Amino acid sequence: MTADSLDPVIHAPARLRIVATLAALPDGASLSFTRLQDMLDLTPGNLITHLRKLEDAGYLESETTGNGRASRTSIALTGHGRAALDTYTDALRDLLGGL
Amino acid sequence: MQGTQDVDQTTGAGDGDGLDPREAARLLAHTEREAQRQFNLSPVWITVLMGAVLFVAYGALWLSTRGQHPYSGPRLGVVGLVYAAVAVAIAASVKVYRRATAGVSGPSVRRQQVEGVAILVSFVLGSPVLQGAMKHYHASDAIVYGVIPAAAPLIIVGTTVLGIAASKGDRAQFGAALVVVIAGVVAAFVGPSGAWLAAGIGLFIAMAGYAAADGRQRRRASLRA
Repeated sequence: MTADSLDPVIHAPARLRIVATLAALPDGASLSFTRLQDMLDLTPGNLITHLRKLEDAGYLESETTGNGRASRTSIALTGHGRAALDTYTDALRDLLGGL
Repeated sequence: MQGTQDVDQTTGAGDGDGLDPREAARLLAHTEREAQRQFNLSPVWITVLMGAVLFVAYGALWLSTRGQHPYSGPRLGVVGLVYAAVAVAIAASVKVYRRATAGVSGPSVRRQQVEGVAILVSFVLGSPVLQGAMKHYHASDAIVYGVIPAAAPLIIVGTTVLGIAASKGDRAQFGAALVVVIAGVVAAFVGPSGAWLAAGIGLFIAMAGYAAADGRQRRRASLRA
């Protein structure tokens, strides 16, 4: 097994941290954009870019409520995303076991 | 997503080219640990600290009533100390809860809120109602101001938490609640002064044990990941 076998959507520092952080939430819970940004210390633009990539892959879902300044965006890992992280973790473990 | 865009959104947005698998594993483990720490509702240090504070408070009640014949209850200053200790414990719990759940939404948070209300109601209503009933039926001061306030909250709140833990399948919480209930039962039969000591020891063992078991569960989960 080589590093190429790792899911490229997750295998990037910022996206790995996003997915791992959301996976630590209880089942069914979501996290606000601002708390996630605080925890990961990313700029809003960077975070949005990575979230879009993860959302496009079906790993995340986001929901925005309210309008303007009062709007709030919540982000949650989907079942597909949780499974992808598990697969990524297993692949990483196999890879490191083989190194 | 948010409507704002940063100018630097492309820098650092990429990609795992060159991300070493070992570095990825380290990053994953570190992020999981940090996230679990931030979302943790019962950090080990605060659980142990609360157990110690309650032990000191109940120990003071025991010292204040030891050797009383007939039993007349703890001194007012000691009662004030206990109320202060309980207030500090509640304030610390609320602060930790708020920090852990900031920005988190979903069914789990609503469930935790309902659980919190159930525990608060059982704590606030349980003992005073029983004390009032005992006083109404002319029970002795040893019962009304000794055995009941020491033992009843542990049995009532402990049983409430026992049910909550059973419904979640949380073994660490279940074990701690069971110790609290057993301490309450013991407190009910060791006399009005000894009841305070039994309650304090039971609470400390339950909280220290919970902190150890919960920490072990989290470490195991972290190692599995």
